[in-house]
Amino acid sequence: MKKYNFWFFSSFSIALIVALPIFTVFFSFFSETSNYFTILKNTFLFDYINNSLLILISVLTITFLLGVISAYFISFYEFPLSNFFSWALILAFAIPGYIFAFSIIAFFENYGTAYSILTNIFGEYNYNPHIPKFDGVLGSIIAISFSLFPYVYVLTRSSFFFQSNNYIEVGQNLGLSEKETFLKIILPSARPAIIAGLALVAMECLSDFGTVSVFSVSTLTTGIYNSWISFDDLNSANQISFILLLFILFLFSVEIYSRKEAKYHQPARGFKPINKIKLNGKKSLLAFSFCFSVFLISFVFPVSQMIYWTIKFPKYIQDINILKINLNTLYLVGLASLVLVFISLFINYGSRISKSRILNYLTNFSISGYAIPGVILAVAFITFFSNISDLINENTNIGSTKKIFIGSIFGLILAYFIRFFSLSFNGIKSSYEKINNSIDESAYLLGYSKIKTFSKIHIPYLKNNIILIILLISLEIIKELPITMILRPFNFETFATQAYVYASQDLIEAAALPSLFLISWATVLILFSSKYILSRKN
Amino acid sequence: MSNGFFNIKNGDFIASAKNKVNEVNLKIENQGEIISLLGPSGVGKTTILRTIAGLQKISSGEIFLKNKLISSNEIHIEPEKRNIALSFQDNSLFPNYKVIDNINFGKKRLNGNASAIDADEIIKLLHIEPILEKFPHQISAGEAQRVSLARSLMSKPDLLLLDEPFSNIDQSLKDEIQVSVKKLLKRINLTTIIVTHDSYEAFSMADKCGIILNQKLKQYDVPYNVHHEPNSIEIAKFLNKGVFIDVTVVDSKCAVHRLNHEVLGEIRGKLSNDFPSGAKVKLLLQPEDLIHDDQSKLKLEVVDRKFRGTNFIYTLKTKNGEHLPVFVHSHHIHQHEKSEKFGIKSPIYIDHLVCF
Repeated sequence: MKKYNFWFFSSFSIALIVALPIFTVFFSFFSETSNYFTILKNTFLFDYINNSLLILISVLTITFLLGVISAYFISFYEFPLSNFFSWALILAFAIPGYIFAFSIIAFFENYGTAYSILTNIFGEYNYNPHIPKFDGVLGSIIAISFSLFPYVYVLTRSSFFFQSNNYIEVGQNLGLSEKETFLKIILPSARPAIIAGLALVAMECLSDFGTVSVFSVSTLTTGIYNSWISFDDLNSANQISFILLLFILFLFSVEIYSRKEAKYHQPARGFKPINKIKLNGKKSLLAFSFCFSVFLISFVFPVSQMIYWTIKFPKYIQDINILKINLNTLYLVGLASLVLVFISLFINYGSRISKSRILNYLTNFSISGYAIPGVILAVAFITFFSNISDLINENTNIGSTKKIFIGSIFGLILAYFIRFFSLSFNGIKSSYEKINNSIDESAYLLGYSKIKTFSKIHIPYLKNNIILIILLISLEIIKELPITMILRPFNFETFATQAYVYASQDLIEAAALPSLFLISWATVLILFSSKYILSRKN
Repeated sequence: MSNGFFNIKNGDFIASAKNKVNEVNLKIENQGEIISLLGPSGVGKTTILRTIAGLQKISSGEIFLKNKLISSNEIHIEPEKRNIALSFQDNSLFPNYKVIDNINFGKKRLNGNASAIDADEIIKLLHIEPILEKFPHQISAGEAQRVSLARSLMSKPDLLLLDEPFSNIDQSLKDEIQVSVKKLLKRINLTTIIVTHDSYEAFSMADKCGIILNQKLKQYDVPYNVHHEPNSIEIAKFLNKGVFIDVTVVDSKCAVHRLNHEVLGEIRGKLSNDFPSGAKVKLLLQPEDLIHDDQSKLKLEVVDRKFRGTNFIYTLKTKNGEHLPVFVHSHHIHQHEKSEKFGIKSPIYIDHLVCF
């Protein structure tokens, strides 16, 4: 097969599209800016970095504790509802940080839900001074931690799950106590998985836009947004993006490296599942209380707060066109999944049959899109297409092409594509790699053409995985805020944007209904996804 | 010059810097012949099969099938258009189809035409009945290999290529399946090339056997000749059939040739190569060449004894330090212990005097 063929150019184009935001941010770093960036450098930039790092370090500590401890209890012990918690803790994925933030504000604010509960139980009194206030940086840390800890939980639990009982038995045989076995054998071998989980948390945390803006905390992401929205200075926005990208790309490399390491820690043969120990008495109560508290705070608390508000303020039910938002969401999710899965299949198939190394590097480069925060992506997207449009405008009579990409469904889908291509491509790739090459060759030798091999052998094999990928993409798009906020067509609302718009207008109670719908959709998707993951494991 | 049924002319097969075989000339004269390619692991046997099947391009040279050029520097017919079946060494069954469906995939090539053998017969012959409804991940490696073989047979190819086809099959079933498969291949007149590193398998299955060593096809002959008259020291060493001892050619002109060994004395037989009288050569001595005789005056010391089921292999030491292997039937009247003296019938007569 020729080196530069159809598959090469297809992969090259996709790598180029995904790399657009990175190139734009990089080149903008050297462009001229307004005075705003100079003022910013001398005033708030340090605060942005400071806040971002403070939130990052705190979130990493909390998610580490929540994720690892709950994974440890659930993987090695049996206690009341332990089986329920094993999947219920994942439901926190359904709550985006900004919805958790609404809940915190609603519950702890003056005359909020906590006040109402206390009044109902103990009667009228001014409880406000006694109710703690979790706002600003502290509120952001709590909200982000509880919405992101499942990354650490899921990866650590799966690492514990694949830890063969043989290792534990060998530890015991060598005279190690239960505690020593955990510290010297179990935890070190789960280390790459934990680091991979924490790297994902860190990337998401630095990318977070919704939560910090709900609490009005200035971080690098809000700085990017404000430079663009308030000062109309795209170059400044891109320069802050450059600083943030440096952090993110470092974390991205840590995550990739840790995942590679994690593979070597999985036993290939002689795997023996862990024999869970049944806990009694205080130990059982401790394990139960911990997992129950995490579940309560991460899922039950925001869900019940949203339900309570929806019931308490029924007038907003009439104001919001729920059917339209549902259809909008379905439309976006359907279109984006279709495009992503189709192109991912196409590129995976191309790199499989052409076996080109350059193609592999290109596709690996394309997956870096996932590391780019939504805000950066959206701002870079606008910068790039505005520049292109200006260029076309100056040199031709075509007129402005901005509308094709900015504020259009096409542009939105393209941005989703850049952001989620890695999720879709890697998801299909991991399953594709399990089909041995000799299977394709067998099919050819039995007289099947390449297309028939693809349709008769590959597609039936990948079917379940494709469904899983669609579920995961849908989950991400439903929760996605900054890209949708910035690039959506005028008056086009999703649950995430509708909730955020209300919240930014100080109508947090009105954000309850769209938030509740978002959580319901996300919960259903998570439950279906875990069903597919479990059925594949079986 | 005719290309016969199948012909490789000056073929160079390269998979990697280490894994390559050069200047291969291999001709299968008639349809229905079974050929085996024997060589150590990693020598490039599989690369040859993959190239014949069209999964790799030939580096140089030409391959003809039924007098049609299928591979050369300029021409490469795609694998799906060659009508050549290859049964892989590893599991290449389609993972999402049951065993029976995998076997039926083989019918695609028939385009509605009847196969020379029916599926039931192959299934029975290869003992696949109990696993028909199972998925590939639910069966053992040996069972998978049999299913893969059945699938290839079903496709009624012009040429069947088998890559270590019996390597994972239990010893108890292996002999029976080898015999049945050979009978079937002969009955349906299916030309087959078998790649293996097991010399017994290569000799028992094939009409002709090729030995691949050090990136070359070193010998291509009927199994009897390969075994008894290997054409180089390296083939004899690879087949691991005996030891080399230093002898002098005494008489190479008469009907019965004579050699002399310092300890064993006169050795008679038929020299496979020409040597002048007086030449100092190395003689291949195989375990079956020496005959045990308790009454003989030629006695050597036993240094080792290995039980091999139907026989023992004794290792005897000569006074000049050579170690010679000898077969003795395990029901022989009495066994010798280490350090005991062991008699050898003399003068020694060996049918094939393989000398280099």
